[in-house]
Amino acid sequence: MKLISKRILFDTFFNAYLFSLIYFLPMYFFAESFDKSVYLVGKTITSLFFIFVALGYVFSQLFIFVSLKTLGSLLFEPYAQYTSKFKKTFWRKCLSLIILGTLVASVVMTQASFIDLVDRDGISGAMRLFSGIFNPNFDILPKAILAIIETIYIAFLATFIAAPFAFLLSFLGAKNVMTHPTAFVCYLSLRTFLNIVRSVEPLIWAIIFSVWVGIGPFAGMMALMLHSLASLTKQYSEIVECISDGPVEGIRATGASTLQTVLFGIVPQIVLPYISFTIYRWDINVRMATVIGLVGGGGIGTMLIQYQGQALWQEVGCIVVVIAVVVWVLDTSSAYIREAIK
Amino acid sequence: MSKEILDIQNLEMTFPNGVQALKGVSLKVYEGEFLAIIGLSGSGKSTLLRSINRLNTPTRGVISYKGSDVLKFKGREISTLRSNVAMIFQKFNLVGRNTVLTNVLMGALSRTSFFKSLFGAFAKEDVEKAYEYLKLVGLESKAKTRADQLSGGQQQRVAIARTLMQNPDILLADEPVASLDPALSHTIMDYLKQINKELGITVLCNLHHLDLVKSYSDRTIALKDGTLVFEGSPEKINEDWFKEIYGEEARKV
Repeated sequence: MKLISKRILFDTFFNAYLFSLIYFLPMYFFAESFDKSVYLVGKTITSLFFIFVALGYVFSQLFIFVSLKTLGSLLFEPYAQYTSKFKKTFWRKCLSLIILGTLVASVVMTQASFIDLVDRDGISGAMRLFSGIFNPNFDILPKAILAIIETIYIAFLATFIAAPFAFLLSFLGAKNVMTHPTAFVCYLSLRTFLNIVRSVEPLIWAIIFSVWVGIGPFAGMMALMLHSLASLTKQYSEIVECISDGPVEGIRATGASTLQTVLFGIVPQIVLPYISFTIYRWDINVRMATVIGLVGGGGIGTMLIQYQGQALWQEVGCIVVVIAVVVWVLDTSSAYIREAIK
Repeated sequence: MSKEILDIQNLEMTFPNGVQALKGVSLKVYEGEFLAIIGLSGSGKSTLLRSINRLNTPTRGVISYKGSDVLKFKGREISTLRSNVAMIFQKFNLVGRNTVLTNVLMGALSRTSFFKSLFGAFAKEDVEKAYEYLKLVGLESKAKTRADQLSGGQQQRVAIARTLMQNPDILLADEPVASLDPALSHTIMDYLKQINKELGITVLCNLHHLDLVKSYSDRTIALKDGTLVFEGSPEKINEDWFKEIYGEEARKV
């Protein structure tokens, strides 16, 4: 008997999840006043977790013992043979059960309710909001335009600073350039670092920078710049990895130095896709800068959150119109430019 | 026989994946000759050529170029070697997005400093030479066209002009006509022959077609499984030699 394998590990957690669904769901439905805090505090939940995992492990071994085809064996032991049709299709029953259970659990968890959706008070509130938004107060238009210009500039500066650094870093992040063993270590550490930076949402960076440099456009710009640097480096590196080796070899064979080979063999192949990605990044940054403004990154987002806080829906309507127009114009023109320089 | 320009001794090459492409090849190349190299795909023809200008680094042996061992070269010496031993490729290896003229000027990179090349400031005589060589290969009207807009045959002629810019002693041609229309093969081969005869550049050319070998080369060698199996005049390749080089099942096309 095997104690541990990929299949057993997978089945253990799969079963554990299934048992926890079976345990908790009836409680949501049948307990009169189900108080999550009672059941889900510290020690209780920890011991429950271990109980379910242990149960899951026992059952996964049991399934192996009676040779059932579980999801784990479907994934990790694709060539195993099973005797009966029931054993062969057991995994389907498990899968349907888990999808159904997860569906029910997610409806409960998100407190989805059709009643709330058609509630009269709620609808009238929404109507008030919509009537405000659809009757924009264009008195604040000059102010909104100034704010969105600020947003566009935030996005532009973030892209402008990030692009050249990303350009230089992209060669260090390309597998086909960094072939030497020492260079490969450099490649790996750069990739890891950038992945970490990229996986932190710009919204979080904006919060960090608004503490660091104070609330305002500068914090927003720094947040976007950092995120753009990481994203652009990754995209640029992928372009470098996709170039054809022929021209590079052709240049190398003329006796050109390494730097000249990069300059004349690689750069001409990547420069247009680079420009295209940079314009696209600016376009994305304008949209992101709007969201970042909501947490104090300056620009139109900050203005939006101020009016929203005061429930001035007509003014919000004006801001929404300005954002929509600018995003649409940038989106269309950047798509057009990117198509033209292909 | 004239002076030898290359003296290759017991050349062995094993790739990192364990494939042994050359198993001790010895060969002399003489100044000004047109040497054809034949053999099946995978027999080590490309590896041999690419070892001479150090695009490959052979594992063992000696390649003596004008008296110095190429395999001991490092850094700047390799660059100088490559500028003297020019190469054209089956896939032309031009930079498609650049103009024909820029591609030809690439041949002058090894004598242009990095900063000058960064700003495209090639010497005036180099630009004049580039036009002259483009004229030689009959493409002076295409100087400002993007290289990827040319046909295969034209691209190979640009590649030849690029090698001429290097002012080389030796031209390595790695299957120069293999990806061209057979009808165009003779044009390219004629240019190579012209370079060989008029400019005195030694040509080492990998070829597939035996009739091209017979009409263009002064001397022929054949590789089979990384070893030299034939050396001599192309006229000597009769039916028996053909079977020896290409195997029993091969048939002439």
